[in-house]
Amino acid sequence: MRAVAAPRSWLESAGDVGMFCGRVVGQVATGRVLRFTGETLRQAGILILSSALVICGLVFIIGLQCGIEGAYFTRAQGTPAYAGVFSAWCDLRELVPYAFGYMMAAKVGTGLVAEIGSMRITDEIDAMEVMGIPSIAFLCATRLVAAWIVLPFVYISAVGAGFFASYLAVVVQIGEVSSGGFFLIFWMFQNPPDLLFSVIKGMAMATAIVLIGLYYGYHASGGPVGVGTATAKSMVVNIVLVHLIGMIGTQVFWGANPRAPIGG
Amino acid sequence: MIRTAADRAFFPTKNLLEEVGDMMILTGKTVVSALRPPFPYGGEFVSQFMFVLRLVWFPLIVSTVAFGYGAPGLQAANFLVLFGALDRLGGFFVLASIREFAPFVTAIVVAGVAGTAITADLGARKIREELDALQVLGVDPVKNLVVPRFLALMLVTGLFDIYALLFGIFGGILATLVNGAPLGPFWATFFTNASTTDLWGSVLKCTMFGAIIAIVCCYKGMTASGGAEGVGRAVNQAVVIALLGVFAFNYVFTQTLLATHPEITVIR
Repeated sequence: MRAVAAPRSWLESAGDVGMFCGRVVGQVATGRVLRFTGETLRQAGILILSSALVICGLVFIIGLQCGIEGAYFTRAQGTPAYAGVFSAWCDLRELVPYAFGYMMAAKVGTGLVAEIGSMRITDEIDAMEVMGIPSIAFLCATRLVAAWIVLPFVYISAVGAGFFASYLAVVVQIGEVSSGGFFLIFWMFQNPPDLLFSVIKGMAMATAIVLIGLYYGYHASGGPVGVGTATAKSMVVNIVLVHLIGMIGTQVFWGANPRAPIGG
Repeated sequence: MIRTAADRAFFPTKNLLEEVGDMMILTGKTVVSALRPPFPYGGEFVSQFMFVLRLVWFPLIVSTVAFGYGAPGLQAANFLVLFGALDRLGGFFVLASIREFAPFVTAIVVAGVAGTAITADLGARKIREELDALQVLGVDPVKNLVVPRFLALMLVTGLFDIYALLFGIFGGILATLVNGAPLGPFWATFFTNASTTDLWGSVLKCTMFGAIIAIVCCYKGMTASGGAEGVGRAVNQAVVIALLGVFAFNYVFTQTLLATHPEITVIR
């Protein structure tokens, strides 16, 4: 009986999360969230001020990492001029989405749980319902829309930060390839559809993270300690989701077609 | 006007520097009280070790297999298939898995799963004033709570590196099989390129990640304040600082290892 209990409770909570996400997305799709446009814009502002810089910072460090690994790897192959290939693919296709997902989960996801969870346990959400304000629309749907408005731009700035860091690592720090030689190869091995796919990957991660954060915050219970536990739990789910979405994105977008300017 | 602007720029920086300094002091205290007898933390060490092990093993399997299959597996296989050199994927996995992603995916999962749980636990004790009560009873919270967590997290993260490495390479095997290639050449290039330096570098790096995560998460848990929102906010800040610290350390460590051991970058 005990062997069945754990998978069963997982399934139950997956169903709960699904229902909650359906309700939030429903508030957005039916346009009920438009009643709270002011709150949406306020949340968007908070997201930019509090999270954009730290997300770009983490992606910058990852970009440096891609740069040095690429420089040493291509040097060992005897083709240091081609460090741009490694950096272009490593940054744009894989590690920028992952780093973005990690930092989103750490900063925005847990932040949402802490904020909304404390509203829940201090009965603010119930008070809101009593006053006739639909709490899901006001608290959850506005934050989801704010994330959708702001994050594509944050993501693209993060891609820029990653590219800049790879350039610094390969050209300025290791210095085995000239600036022009690096950029020739770097831009040859990527094109706008690649950027679009990368943004889709990042946005899928961001949507999942925001929804999970909202769910765990909205359903927090058990006093101040409960908020801490819910925050920790949301991080577990988010980490697993980020990796799964990253893998599925790679499989779908680049699995059957390498999109490289080589051969025919 | 100018004064308020200067204050707004100055205070966050000052707070940040103070926090980093406090974490350094906590690190020093932890190391000293870990080495100085008596050693009352054996039982707590074992229970924390088991606790982290129980929480982390499943998310880590999913994460490393997914990462290994997607990022280095599929992308590198795509590239190598163009040249008809898929057997080189094994050699690439030495770089990708052992040197890079096994340690950092382990660190991300340990920070996200075990680190957050430690902060939530210590933060809860802090705002229930249990830590103050312990001090009144003459029990040192650093020796009895931080030291066992620090040692357990270091050890378990280092060991989990090996585990992440195995499952990451399993992801690479999946990518090879998806491309319809035999596994023999994969293993052949893998073992000719693998070196002991890479392995100890990987395990050492991961152990240090564990130390960073433990200190940041214990510090944030023990300084949680501000009632209901406090513990949640502490967990949030702990995981952000831990990730930034881990990645900054990763860059410095990898750079130093690659520059000081040129023999490991030679492709054989």
